[in-house]
Parts: sequence; structure tokens; C-alpha cells
Amino acid sequence: MTNEEIIRIINDSLIKEFELDSKKMVPEAVLYDDLELDSLDRVDMVIVLENAFKFKIREEKEIRDIRTLGDIHSFVINKIREIERVS
Amino acid sequence: MHGEKRKLLFKPAAFPRKNNFTVILMNLWVFPLLAVMTIIGIIISSPAFLVFKITLRMETFRIIRLFVWIYGRGWLAIVKPFTRFQTEGLNKGDISTPCIIVPNHLSFFDTFFLAALPFNNVCFAIRSWPFRMAWYNPFMRLARYLDVEETPWEDSFEACKRELLNGAALLFFPEAHRSRDGRLGRFYSGAFKVSVATGVPVVPVCIAGTGEMYPPGQRLLRPAKVRLKALPAVSPDRFPGPYGHMEMRKHVKALMAQEIEKMR
Repeated sequence: MTNEEIIRIINDSLIKEFELDSKKMVPEAVLYDDLELDSLDRVDMVIVLENAFKFKIREEKEIRDIRTLGDIHSFVINKIREIERVS
Repeated sequence: MHGEKRKLLFKPAAFPRKNNFTVILMNLWVFPLLAVMTIIGIIISSPAFLVFKITLRMETFRIIRLFVWIYGRGWLAIVKPFTRFQTEGLNKGDISTPCIIVPNHLSFFDTFFLAALPFNNVCFAIRSWPFRMAWYNPFMRLARYLDVEETPWEDSFEACKRELLNGAALLFFPEAHRSRDGRLGRFYSGAFKVSVATGVPVVPVCIAGTGEMYPPGQRLLRPAKVRLKALPAVSPDRFPGPYGHMEMRKHVKALMAQEIEKMR
């Protein structure tokens, strides 16, 4: 899976689950201010990503540092590449 | 639909220009009376509070919630000459408590119309900005309303549990904001998370017409037909598992969207 495909899946999943405006889905979008996701949405977001990519990330400490959509893209891409290396 | 310019569903033209006289009359009637009711309410609330406290030994937050409900009933009386107000499913006994009420949100005055609920022990779980209104803030604090925006979720959740255990109705606006175009906005998870965690049902309440009467950004009230309809309670038992609250959120939103479409 290419980085572009991963980013597309992430964006589509978040747009669908949280009814986000696709025009706002830019890497620098801040989750709280620009996408208006609250603290509960961040928990739900982890579930959405786990469902989309069939991995478990809810215990990962780096999730707490995620602030922007670009951070999510980087986190998921790194996670998938890590899984690919191990398997 | 995302990102497209969306057609307004509010119908400000429902009352044509020849009725401008009615609009002016309504505003000359409603706003001064609301101000007078608010001032009188603030003045008499202290002695009335003492009477309730001493004679009925009610808890402070219960007395204030009762006052808020009476204030809302006063609003219903004030706007009555200019609104055709209908309710459905809001008679005594129609809704069991504890429960979690989730109305759609079209107007500042939605909260006033919610005085049509058949009980007064209602705890609003709302965003921060209403707490910034100096004349309402003391009452909201004394009524133990929940500021779910500023308070950490864990603390809000504990407060929600306490209210439900005490038999109150919790009220969340799941859209968090007033609709800008009359359409149902995205739903946030809070109400549904509380429901799934506590087993307390959600009661969707569909509001129509307040957006025509006083939408966000408009200064003048306009005569309107306002309708409130409570849908049957939705049990969280139907939504088990870690994604239950998300499924319940989508289900309730779909029910409300369908009903609101019919009410237009």
C-alpha cells in the first residue's frame, strides 16, 4: 500500500465517521480547532483507524501527541511500515 | 455534500412582507416582556428560594431547576400570541426518567421551548458559552448544569452518572452548535457514550420552526410554527460492544433526520 493510498483511506474513514468537510482535510488541519474533533472523538478516531487498517493502536503512547491530520497520516504510515518490516 | 454551498432550509419568507407589522409587534412584545420576566425572576428568586428551601426542604439544585422550568413556561406564554406551538410525546408519563434527552438545535430559544418537557428535574450538559452570560450564570451553576466543554470528560461523565442515579433527565445537544442552514449537523458522542455506559435510554426530541423564528445571526424574532416531538426512547441494549456508542449515535441521528424531514 502506498503512502497516498494510506492517506486516502485515513481521510475517507474520518470524513465518513465524523461527517467532516473534505475541503478541510489538509495535513496541517488541527484536530480540535480546524476539524472540531473533541476528546471523545479522538478516542473514536482510534477505533475508526483500527477498523480501517486492522491493527491495534489504542495502547500506543504516540497517539497522545497527535495534534494535526498530518500527525495521523505519519503515525499510521509508520505503523504500517513497521508491521510490514516485522512480517 | 461536504464542502458544497448548501441551500438554506430555514424559511424566512414564510411570513411575507405584508406581515412586517406582525414582526415588529412581536419584537416589541416579546423582548421587553422577556426582559421584565428575567428581572422580576432574578429579584423574586431569592425569597422564593428561601420559601422552597424552608417549607419543602428541597435541595438547592432542584429548586433552581424548577425555577428555570417555570421561566421557560413563562417564555411559552409570552410568545404564544405569535407562535403556533405544538408538542407530541411530551405529555406527563410519555417519558420515563432517568433518561438522556437529545434535541436538535436550531435557535438560541430552543432551550426555552424545552420547558415543554413534562418534568423539571433536567440537567443541561452543554458547551461553555451559555455559562458566560452573567445574568444566567449563577442560576446555571446553582442548578448544577454541566459545562462539558471545559470540564475533563472523566469528571463530566461522573457528574452525568450522579445525575442519572438521582433520577434526573440529562440533556445534551448532540450537534453542540446551532444549525446554520436548518440541516441536522454532525452528532458528537457524549450523550451516547453516557447512555451505553449507564444503560439509560436516549430520548430524541425533534424541534422544528425555531430556526424560522430566531435563527443564528438574526436579530428579530419572526412569527413561526414551532413543533417539538419526542420520539420513542432508544435503549442502549441494542448497541453492545466497544463501538456501541458510535452505532447508537448514527441510529439516533438517522431517526431524527427522518422525523425532522417529515415535520418541515
